[in-house]
Amino acid sequence: MTAQREVYVLGGYMTDFARNWTKENKHFSALMREAVIGALERTGIAPEEVESAHVGNFAAELYCMQGHLGAFFTEVHPAFSGLPTSRHEAACASGSIALLAAGAEIEAGRYDLQAVVGIEQMKTVSAAQGGSYLGTAAWYDQEAKGVEFPFPKLFGRLGDEYDKRYGLKDEHLAEISKINYANAKKNPNAQTRTWYMNKEHALCRTDDNPAVGGRIRIADCSQVTDGAVCVFLASREYAEKYARGTGRKLEQIPRIKGWGHNTARLRFDDKVAESRGERYVLPHVRSTITAAMKRAGIADVSGVDAIETHDCFTTSEYMAIDHFGITAPGESWKAVEAGWLEIDGKHPINPSGGLIGAGHPVGATGVRQLLDAVWQVTGEAGDYQVEGAKNVQTLNIGGSGTTSVSFIVGV
Amino acid sequence: MPGSDGSAKSSAEIRRLLASRKLDRVVVLGANGTMGYGSAALFTQAVPEVIFLARTKAKAEEGLGEAIRQVRSPTVASRARVGDYDHDLGSAVAGADLIFEALTEDLPVKKAMFDRVEEARRDDSIVATVTSGLSINELCKNRGMSFRKNFLGLHFFNPPNVIVGTELIAGRDTDPGVTDFVEAFARARLGREIVRTHDTPAFAGNRVGFKVLNEAAQLAEQIGPLLVDRIVGPYTGRALTPLATIDLVGWDIHRAIVDNVYENTQDEAHETLKLPAYMDKLMEKGVLGNKTGRGFFWKEGKVRHVLEPVSGNYRPESEIKLPSLSYVDDVAALYSQARYAEGIQVFLEAEGDEAALARKVIAGYLSYAFLRVGEVTDSISGIDRIMGAGFNWAPPSVLVDTMGAASAVRLIEEAGLAVPKALENAARTGEPKRFFSDRQVNTGKFFVAS
Repeated sequence: MTAQREVYVLGGYMTDFARNWTKENKHFSALMREAVIGALERTGIAPEEVESAHVGNFAAELYCMQGHLGAFFTEVHPAFSGLPTSRHEAACASGSIALLAAGAEIEAGRYDLQAVVGIEQMKTVSAAQGGSYLGTAAWYDQEAKGVEFPFPKLFGRLGDEYDKRYGLKDEHLAEISKINYANAKKNPNAQTRTWYMNKEHALCRTDDNPAVGGRIRIADCSQVTDGAVCVFLASREYAEKYARGTGRKLEQIPRIKGWGHNTARLRFDDKVAESRGERYVLPHVRSTITAAMKRAGIADVSGVDAIETHDCFTTSEYMAIDHFGITAPGESWKAVEAGWLEIDGKHPINPSGGLIGAGHPVGATGVRQLLDAVWQVTGEAGDYQVEGAKNVQTLNIGGSGTTSVSFIVGV
Repeated sequence: MPGSDGSAKSSAEIRRLLASRKLDRVVVLGANGTMGYGSAALFTQAVPEVIFLARTKAKAEEGLGEAIRQVRSPTVASRARVGDYDHDLGSAVAGADLIFEALTEDLPVKKAMFDRVEEARRDDSIVATVTSGLSINELCKNRGMSFRKNFLGLHFFNPPNVIVGTELIAGRDTDPGVTDFVEAFARARLGREIVRTHDTPAFAGNRVGFKVLNEAAQLAEQIGPLLVDRIVGPYTGRALTPLATIDLVGWDIHRAIVDNVYENTQDEAHETLKLPAYMDKLMEKGVLGNKTGRGFFWKEGKVRHVLEPVSGNYRPESEIKLPSLSYVDDVAALYSQARYAEGIQVFLEAEGDEAALARKVIAGYLSYAFLRVGEVTDSISGIDRIMGAGFNWAPPSVLVDTMGAASAVRLIEEAGLAVPKALENAARTGEPKRFFSDRQVNTGKFFVAS
């Protein structure tokens, strides 16, 4: 085997996740166009340089009555006419799957510069309709059909499983919500940056914070929204050229140092049954995280300066805390209580606000996490910058812990 | 992040500033008013104790109720206390780290309140006013140095829980350390987009914004409100149309702002700031916009009625025939695919009197904004950011960048208005390539496709 080729990330652009594109009377193609043009402008890359393009998206066929999304690249710029494109799907991990595919093409030496877009337009339908569409990320017939808002219920059960094995207090989940909302206030593209939140509200048990699925209340949820993110992945050769052109050294260009990717059984019950008696509730998620660390040559979480994790619900972040190894299994609450998760804490999680604070346009999330990791390690994260971050790890999850992807981005 | 009108501080610097002093207790004066309870609700997110004060305790309680309704969280109450001026002001102000004044926009009323505040406050407490345009220097004139050093303007826009654009106005004697701290606090804890402005009438946002709104009101007398809101509609870079905006903020508030600017400034667009006489007349009959039900528009069930400014009568919208404005649909169709530059081009080249009138209003916006640089803010970036984050309008620079500086100059010349130097230079030299400097803002959001 020849030495692995490296994959660099040259930066990118995200749309403001607070925007409602239906209210702006805009088509899916506008969302895609703004993300790609924004990324070209922000990085200074000429469209003619892009050799291949990938789109990560969950369900545009349902939300927008539109498929064949890769082809929309040709609508963005005349130079993209003829460009090889493709579209990738793995529920809420769709964006990361697109990144993996694009990265693999660079590793294979096929292309030197790739555009990757994660995109979802979701405000086209009512909350209930959208909730039902999201149910197709589970085993629809068995877990979601006829269920109102299936996913909060599935992730409520993740909390119940923790409770059963180790004990779980709502106040720790509330603190997770509070931190994500507080971080989102510093993120100019976060969906919830103007929303009212404090710990008391997250703990509040009235109609202002209604239950939506077992122990999951509105403040525990990430919210659907519209959003698109575009990043450019490059080979070492292209990254060297790009670094020279922007007056930097190659070492200053972020690189994907490691990745992990696993799929667990679809149904939540089957996942839990598989892990009975094990220390980790979702062992395949744990494997994804440790595989990325191993590939990056990082021994454990002490080598990671910040984490962008998949907090579709507070329970998924609670799970991530011990699965990353920040605490022993079942002891995530210790990290919450110690204040380790805050931006200036020992293990900052979701400085961007995460899915709860920044918003969760499903197919865009994995790419948004990677872009936030890039901005952290290049010092471009503005008010939510983690000081001195060199290595940032992501965790993107599709379904109820079914498809997991993790990247480590570093300089 | 922000340009020169909001210091581009690093997150580390912000953290240092936040740690430099304590801000745990806030007193809101005038907590029963819209800006009072709206601001108070905002503070409850960031500090453990907010005291709502009003003339009577019952009024303060009303304010607390409104605050809870506005942000839809009963937890506001767990961080709030209520009281009245006569019984509670002294002790509340003495214990406060920040005293936030939100009384009615009346100089003597505010000054009388500051007499009481100055007497009760600690030397190290900050005093802020939410005034939307009264002079900060005038408000603290003849007060002691401790008061003047710690006094500044913190102008939230209504409703503050939705609109993040905020103006920060230091007085002549304000301690720069206090200004820096308040900016850091408002940014990091309250999620504000801070723009520093000079102490000029109506500051930056309302000065530029109400100039455009008032011009639209003047135009309504000639062509009717419906047509005005159509031709200066969303496609010109705003979510809410101009006359609907005046109805929303209230005609009396509109009058207070434009009268203040008209009386206290002398600029090249002076006459566009003169309140139309018909508005004065109709206000006497209770036409104040949405709060009285009647303004440029009023809704009877599902039927919208439109004001005839000269007669004061209303006609159902369906009876009013508008000229064909197919260019607006063409612009919107391009915007719906994010083809903003092409859309603007259609607008610039559209034929007909209505398109020409609309271009004149937009030319007035660009010319007026760029000519205020130096007077109301240090750079165009401050005006841009407050028009974007305070009014939700396409910032002047975004429009210029999208159409190109040469087109902007032509537009202004065709309207017979003064061409700002910066635009003239950019058209001639091609520099700067872009005026809008905030990379974090999606400029596309300002181009609404309708």
